[in-house]
Amino acid sequence: MWAYIIRRVLATIPVMAFVALFVFSLLYLAPGDPAAVIAGDQATPDDVERIRASLGLDRPYLVRFSEWVFRILQGDLGTSIFTNLPVGHMIAQRIEPTLSLMIVTLCLALSIAIPMGVVAAWKQGTWIDRAVMGFAVLGFSVPVFVVGYLLAYVFALELDWFPVQGYTPFAQGFFPWIENLVLPAVALGGVYIALIARITRATMLEVLQQDYIRTARAKGAGQSSILFLHALKNAAVPIVTVVGIGIALLIGGAVVTESVFAIPGLGRLTVDAILRRDYPVIQGVVLLFSFVYVLVNLGIDLLYTFLDPRIRY
Amino acid sequence: MSVSRRGVLAAGMAAPAFAQGAGRPLRFVPQSNLASIDPVWSTAVVVRNHGLMVYDLLYGLDAQYRVQPQMAAGHEVSSDGLTWTITLREGLKFHDNEPVRGRDCVASIIRWSKRDVLGQRLDGLAEEITAPDDRRIRIRLKRPWAGLAWALGKPSANMCAIMPERVARTDPFQQITDATGSGPFRFRQDLFRPGDVAVYDKFAGYVPRGEATDFLAGAKQVHFDRVEWKIMPDPATAGAALQNNEADWWETPLPDLLPLLRRNRDIEIGVINPAGNLGVLRFNFLHPPFDNAAVRRALLPAVEQRAFMDAAIGTDPALSVVPAGVFTPGTPLANAAGLEVLTGPRSLEAARAALRASGYANQRVTMLGASDLPVLQNLSEVAGDLLRRVGFNVDMPGMDWGTHIQRRNNRGTVDAGGWSAFCTTWEGLDVSVPGSHQPLRGHGAAAWAGWPTLPALETLREEWFDAPDDATARRVAEQMQRVAFAEVPFIPLGLVRPPQAWRRSLTGIVRGGPALFWGVRRA
Repeated sequence: MWAYIIRRVLATIPVMAFVALFVFSLLYLAPGDPAAVIAGDQATPDDVERIRASLGLDRPYLVRFSEWVFRILQGDLGTSIFTNLPVGHMIAQRIEPTLSLMIVTLCLALSIAIPMGVVAAWKQGTWIDRAVMGFAVLGFSVPVFVVGYLLAYVFALELDWFPVQGYTPFAQGFFPWIENLVLPAVALGGVYIALIARITRATMLEVLQQDYIRTARAKGAGQSSILFLHALKNAAVPIVTVVGIGIALLIGGAVVTESVFAIPGLGRLTVDAILRRDYPVIQGVVLLFSFVYVLVNLGIDLLYTFLDPRIRY
Repeated sequence: MSVSRRGVLAAGMAAPAFAQGAGRPLRFVPQSNLASIDPVWSTAVVVRNHGLMVYDLLYGLDAQYRVQPQMAAGHEVSSDGLTWTITLREGLKFHDNEPVRGRDCVASIIRWSKRDVLGQRLDGLAEEITAPDDRRIRIRLKRPWAGLAWALGKPSANMCAIMPERVARTDPFQQITDATGSGPFRFRQDLFRPGDVAVYDKFAGYVPRGEATDFLAGAKQVHFDRVEWKIMPDPATAGAALQNNEADWWETPLPDLLPLLRRNRDIEIGVINPAGNLGVLRFNFLHPPFDNAAVRRALLPAVEQRAFMDAAIGTDPALSVVPAGVFTPGTPLANAAGLEVLTGPRSLEAARAALRASGYANQRVTMLGASDLPVLQNLSEVAGDLLRRVGFNVDMPGMDWGTHIQRRNNRGTVDAGGWSAFCTTWEGLDVSVPGSHQPLRGHGAAAWAGWPTLPALETLREEWFDAPDDATARRVAEQMQRVAFAEVPFIPLGLVRPPQAWRRSLTGIVRGGPALFWGVRRA
């Protein structure tokens, strides 16, 4: 097992190297120039050139890339072109809101989607099943920002139950923290709930046809015991796989959700950086997201061994 | 003022916090993210607004756009007009409680003079800028320049922010890292989260002038201990936050949302910046078809400024001004000379005929837009449609601002990634006088994008700088406008006057220009 973990961790190095090369090259080739953005609407081309030179953007691709890689290897993500702040510091400032949003969304999604999928499979063909699948289609179809605006209108503006926007750090108390996260998590969680509910239902339907389920019923096991102890545990591997894949969905969705609810997280940092062509920030955040995604996949693979003892590495 | 359900609940849970309500910060939603803190390095309007809080200026404009001493107690000009001696007010301090000295001002002026268009004029004219002592600044010029005080006090980017000497010695093309300022607010760098929040505390050591507040002149009396800028990129969210009393003041409400905000009794909407922004359709003088003055002029009979303004800011006539000449309507140099080309009967047919006569050979016209900036994009869409209807072969590639502004610096042909025309807006204060009016320059390769070579405009600009009185300055401005409508370096599209929205609990908002945070208080 440990050998496998070490192998997998080492395997992240070429992946990260490829991501770094890809992101750097993409930004190099993409249209846009941070020096022109900094110089502003009124600048002359000479002003832009001087700023570009002062930022080192006039140097050849290979020089810039090798310098950047050298700094990355030393743990330095560089300095934002616009704010003059270290990228690592900017990411550290923004990581808590995004992490909080993802954790709350994940908890919300799992606690709703898995029971929904299980019940839909159990009540296959009934109105409950159709309602769950209808909800799933809706969850996939309605964009996150539409759900976000609707929730903000109803629960913040009309009912005044939650704030419209913002984020309160966890250090300032659980209730202020969660109050700011409920609406964004529901908005972001919609598509995630739909995805997990569908896969749970499909997998449960398959598992419920197995002989050992019939055996469990024959020996007098209760319905909830059959569903949640016998069936769900055996259906868990595909569900966990989808949960892992869904992390990418969450990362993408967080960009939109953070903008709609003015949450100062990594998603908004990314969007702002892209619009301004703040290359060091974009590169830093994309590297971080890639690393997180690789780690999540590793975690999911390791989780398989606990869920299915037949899986060994 | 309404009492919110959540507010009552919060009060129940945290009574002491509620009791401190009067000391609540002013929560302001600025037009965009504050990415830089250096108003000399960046030309972004949001950075300039930050600069006006944190830095004081030697001079300030009053609501009639006349320059008044601000940090300066006054100045003396030698009889030959070549030597200015500016004396500082007593008691001026930086935010580190060090006194503001003449040499701080000299370093600040020198840094500014490398970046700003009027600063660069000073850079060229100055024989010497020195500080004879801690309270005086001496500027010796090669030629008299009556507009020097205006240049030092103009609030438009780049502003001559007075910084401590150690900060002002930073290379003008590098941004500062130390936000120690001289203004009525102290920037809390420790609480700054770009893209989220910028915090300003009242600077207790600031000494306001004795006169009444008058835009950027007079007393800058601060009534809030703290002002927080909350960045909200989404307009719908900002609007909802204002309605829900999570924000006090929103700088740039979208025109689409104004009806909704107007229905809320707790919200007031108003135009506090009458100088607004002048819409501009700019041409590239380097390549066909707009290297031909006849082609540029052909458009004039078809331009309807009202259509541009309606697209930019909506149909409420209070939010825009037409007709607009080349100088900001409502400012001293605005005039009607030659304006009949835009106010006469509009005729698409006349424009088509003029285009046919101009020798236009169906060259591709690449019109730049900026899909992430609604006002610019809307102006560009109207301009693109107008060009097509007149008979141009128009290509309008989709792009964001970051791409637009890079492409704009490309001097090549459209086939080589260049461009033909674009729309933008200029701060009304900038284009109210020839000195800072970049679209009206004609100095070729060094000019603003479009690079027109129009010596007549340059000569008139110099005449304006040397104008001995207001009447002469106005006469020169009229001549410049006539030349501009003959040569068409750009077409003015009208004056956009973006409204701002604030909770009625705020009173004393200072009018005349950008959002300012002195004078305002919570009722």
